[in-house]
Amino acid sequence: MTDLDLTFVDQTIQKLGREPSELIPILQAIQRHYRYLPEPALRRVCEITQITPKAITGVSTFYSQFRHSPVGRHIINICKGTACHVMGADLIYDAFCRHLNLQEGDDTDVDELFTVQKVACLGCCSLAPVLQIDEITYGHLTAEMVPNVLRDFLEMTKKGTISSFRKSDLFNKEGLGEIRLGSATCCLARGSGALYKAFQQALSETRVPAFVKTVSCLGMSYCAPLVEIVLPNSDLPDKNTFFYAGVQPEDAKAIILRHFRPPGTVRKIINVASQAMDAILTDASWPPVERRLIDLRKKPAAAFLNQQKHIATEYCGQLTPVDIEEYAAFDGFKALKHCLRELSPQEVIEQVRISRLRGRGGAGYSTAAKWSSAREARGDKKYIICNGDEGDPGAFMDRSILESYPYRVIEGMIIAAYAAGADEGYFYIRAEYPLAIRQIREALRQCEKKQLLGENILNSGFNLTLHIMEGAGAFVCGEETALLASIEGRRGMPRLRPPYPTQSGLWKKPTLVNNVETYAMVPWIMRHGGNAFATLGTDVSTGTKVFALAGKVARGGLIEVPMGISLHDIVEDIGGGITAGKRLKAVQIGGPSGGCVPAELARVPVDYEALTDAGAIMGSGGLVVLDETDCMVDIARYFLEFTQDQSCGKCTFCRIGTRRMLDILERLCEGEGRKGDLEELEELALAVKKGSLCQLGGTAPNPVLSTLKYFRDEYEAHLQKKCPAGSCKALITYSITDDCIGCTRCAQHCPADAIEMKPYQQHEIDPEKCIRCGTCKNVCPSDAIKVE
Amino acid sequence: MLRLTIDNQTVEVPPGSTILDAARKLGIDIPALCFRNGCEPSTSCLVCVVRINHQERLVPSCATLAEDGMRVQSETDDIHQARRTALELLLSDHLGDCIGPCRSICPAGMNIPLMIRQIARGAFRDAIVTVKRDIALPAVLGRICSTPCEKGCRRKEYDDAVAICLLKRYVADIDLADNNPYLPACKDETGKKVAIVGSGPAGLTAAYYLRQEGIACTIFDDHKKPGGMLRYAVPEEKLPRAVLDDEIALIEKLGVRFRLSTKIGRDIAWPDIRNEFDAVLIAIGEIKPDKADILQLETDKNGLKINKKTNQTSLPNVFAAGSIVRPGKMAVRAVADGKTAAVSITQYLFYQPLIGIPKPLSVHIGRLREGEIEKFMINVSADGRSNPEKNNPTGLSAEQAQREARRCLHCDCRKYDTCKLRIYAEKYRARPNRYKQTRPIFEQNIQHPEIIFETGKCINCGLCVQIAAAAGEKPGLTFVGRGFDVHVQVPFHDSLKKALTKTAVQCAAACPTGALSLKDK
Repeated sequence: MTDLDLTFVDQTIQKLGREPSELIPILQAIQRHYRYLPEPALRRVCEITQITPKAITGVSTFYSQFRHSPVGRHIINICKGTACHVMGADLIYDAFCRHLNLQEGDDTDVDELFTVQKVACLGCCSLAPVLQIDEITYGHLTAEMVPNVLRDFLEMTKKGTISSFRKSDLFNKEGLGEIRLGSATCCLARGSGALYKAFQQALSETRVPAFVKTVSCLGMSYCAPLVEIVLPNSDLPDKNTFFYAGVQPEDAKAIILRHFRPPGTVRKIINVASQAMDAILTDASWPPVERRLIDLRKKPAAAFLNQQKHIATEYCGQLTPVDIEEYAAFDGFKALKHCLRELSPQEVIEQVRISRLRGRGGAGYSTAAKWSSAREARGDKKYIICNGDEGDPGAFMDRSILESYPYRVIEGMIIAAYAAGADEGYFYIRAEYPLAIRQIREALRQCEKKQLLGENILNSGFNLTLHIMEGAGAFVCGEETALLASIEGRRGMPRLRPPYPTQSGLWKKPTLVNNVETYAMVPWIMRHGGNAFATLGTDVSTGTKVFALAGKVARGGLIEVPMGISLHDIVEDIGGGITAGKRLKAVQIGGPSGGCVPAELARVPVDYEALTDAGAIMGSGGLVVLDETDCMVDIARYFLEFTQDQSCGKCTFCRIGTRRMLDILERLCEGEGRKGDLEELEELALAVKKGSLCQLGGTAPNPVLSTLKYFRDEYEAHLQKKCPAGSCKALITYSITDDCIGCTRCAQHCPADAIEMKPYQQHEIDPEKCIRCGTCKNVCPSDAIKVE
Repeated sequence: MLRLTIDNQTVEVPPGSTILDAARKLGIDIPALCFRNGCEPSTSCLVCVVRINHQERLVPSCATLAEDGMRVQSETDDIHQARRTALELLLSDHLGDCIGPCRSICPAGMNIPLMIRQIARGAFRDAIVTVKRDIALPAVLGRICSTPCEKGCRRKEYDDAVAICLLKRYVADIDLADNNPYLPACKDETGKKVAIVGSGPAGLTAAYYLRQEGIACTIFDDHKKPGGMLRYAVPEEKLPRAVLDDEIALIEKLGVRFRLSTKIGRDIAWPDIRNEFDAVLIAIGEIKPDKADILQLETDKNGLKINKKTNQTSLPNVFAAGSIVRPGKMAVRAVADGKTAAVSITQYLFYQPLIGIPKPLSVHIGRLREGEIEKFMINVSADGRSNPEKNNPTGLSAEQAQREARRCLHCDCRKYDTCKLRIYAEKYRARPNRYKQTRPIFEQNIQHPEIIFETGKCINCGLCVQIAAAAGEKPGLTFVGRGFDVHVQVPFHDSLKKALTKTAVQCAAACPTGALSLKDK
């Protein structure tokens, strides 16, 4: 290691500075360069900055982004978010370990080509289970696809065809047709970057007078990548707008020819193209995924969109995310101008008070109360912070909003800063959201250019500078005091409140911290008045709420609904019910802080208090739909595994209590539960809830308490070594019924050689060899695999 | 001044005071492990939780600022429970033995590790005092004990157990040979009188401890000489009678009266004994059930009915000890029983709560994992077990004894007396094994000349991290990791010696547990 070239470290320090507060960005830069954190580099940092070995060791081991040992050439990040978990992420992980021949404890193959790791939710829940290899995202995986995925990745790398997101052209193209491509992570993951190129090329080949535009997320992640065709002179949008789901680059030409007449061609060709298109529509092999033309006027797309009310996601599917002109054309910055020119800070707060907006980050604290507390706090320097550290597995609202509506969040934040009297602030965005960070960075640059940020904004005399702080992988940093510690370059440890950040926050100055979605609501409120917002939703929970809908639902994605809508309506009408003819079992809402609302209670309205009464919480808005094959004990275990790892490790109840709860849950899932375990679990859960220092620990027992409350029989069954949902590996067996047609597919695919190949005969599974990976069940064409 | 109430008592404190400050002003003892005056509250242990204004959530009193009009509850049932749970959680992640396995297994609970360390440094007089705190007949037992302690000795996992019994015999023998053998101080006579029936190991032991409490003792025995089974059942070659006589003589020196050749029911009536003495101890060895009838004591299928913790029989002022209640030939068990009876009788005579000798709370490492014994060995002599040369009447030689003593692994906690976790766990009756499941690997860091760092005992309070940082130690200490795996470490894996150049002793003193402790002198 002595020959490690440290000039990069010196250059980084030159660029970023020597202040202790720059520690996290410095570490991020070092890791980007060396691909891990070599100790000589860290020691060098201590030599030439004011950063101490204590700080650098403490911080670099706190955040999960940082690695201390070298990695393979490519990193396979397997998402362990909730949706991915229920869709079988563990099986995918096991399949990679098997395929790459990883021994227990290893994460890198012998050739040092791939490093496999489980990572916090990638926020692509509607594509679950998902993984990323370097920058490329693969979704809807099953274990037997693993070899294909690696082959596909290596081929792409060899060909150098890795597509990246590109900005759309900004000049005016009135009167032309538009081909709109979703540009948020879900769509990019499904290849919209390559689509952009393909459509560009197809347009130049066909010489059709239309242009390709990347737009904000329509929320319909379930059919990503989504392509919207808008015909020119479309006075009647219904008749002139067409949607295609799951589009592949080779479809581009056919789609264009179906809707646009190339100059000088005859009608006949279009008809031919049409037929070609129909042929593609019926192709169901993998890859590519299923594709279809969606008619928005009819179900299901109409149901997906019609029950929604777009405020934070206003003009969804119509805006180019970083096009500031376009945002301005769609009512953008009107609210800001109104506030800065016509309203005093107190009047701004008054409108927010009338709107009865509550914090969308989870706790539902009154936004106006928070703002006025920051306003009234004494101090010449105040900060404003946008909390975009959306760490809940199963949630991707903030990611989608930041990626698709960066200006709306910025506008809301400027208004809030004006109201609170802050002149400097930060976007704290988790590192797992690189696109969101890119969009915000570009949007901030545009705003500065237009004098919407910086000195003397819109000649009002109001100043505001906004920075971006990239999170480094710590769920607890969503807790505001931990987030502040993180911005200051420290370990993200929450502290006791009071004092609240509005009194003493960042660098002990009054600081207003709000969630992404909260800020995104503000421009609409200021444009329409607080009353308009307050008339939406319920008495105590006004307005709308953005949810990330995922799991066993037919149509997952980003949705925005009026408060008060029932979970049932969300699942059935918007989500199109449960997939594969299964029954709804529960809706997990609020992630690791929330709970499972059982199907019987699905009529509960989406409302802060009503959800809390049901044993869940509103949380930030992750909705993971569970069906009868999901084991509730396993769900509880899954969340506790998450919290005990994500706990900051400070207070006894959270650090050790969640671990001991997990011990009991692991025992149950392994069939080693003991008499009295359920009582012990419940007692401990209540103690952790009551005694933990911050909300992470205080809400961590919710998944356990809610499942114990509604699904106690399932826990009892685990004590008897049975998993009624057929999900806990240690408690189930696979067998083949006489529905077997003897096709041998199971035997061919079984990674453990547990099935002997017997053409045209009923196959059998050797229970000793079976690793319960579920591959046979996935490949069986006659549904002859029984799990019990 | 701020005015608040704690458990309905009003107190006034200046602004900036915490609830803990206010409670201390009222003399309310709120347990606080991780809090230390002069350091920032680390709000880590959460044992100091209280409830404010009847809220559901509890708050740490060490960091919660007192407010005017605040109503604080500090010790309701559920707060007590919460504190106990916090302690139990900490114990579940606490790797160490409060008392060594040898002592845990010793029926008499002798502080064996302390005796061994005293021998190691040549403090033989201190060692006999330690021994006699729990064993009245060490020279006898040093020859005939069945040595359960050595079966528990962890050193066995490396080579052979430390020769505990021989070490004990060594200090006892040189004490007996001394012109001025050790005699414990006895309190002034209290006027209380106890009759002890039976002069075997249980009876003699009880007399030895009762005399120290200033209680008059008369031992009745129908044999001509005292000693019971020790004299009449143990072969001379195992236990030379001279040794027995010498040790009994020391007990007699404390003022014990013997009435030998005296049989209850023949030479003296049972009711007379009960009338003459404030309490009676029956220690007559194994008896047939009909004998119990004569003594008017209740029996059940196990024999004489007694309270197992206090050795009290069905008659309040009659106690029983030794083989009569615990049949068997283990002399050390009889000795242990005799002491328990003496303690119970003392409690009974002076109207104290009759509880016997409560078993001390201790966490145990239990069976070692692979590679752990080597970590215990880093601090001690790797020599093999010493055996006495043939025909050496004292067993080990002085030099052998000291060398043998250096083989002890020091399993017991260096901060047994001051560990706040143990003290509060005892107070709150925490159950150390309630959540036992996984345990960390044993590690001890002995790099530093002054202190030892036992990582498994750390409760992550961070006081040492703070103290080192405040004193400008470079590199000092830091927290590493997150969640359940968080721990204190020297940055960059540098040595502890380099990490703490001036605050090591201070850190060890501040450490609320035995994680950081001073090395043995």
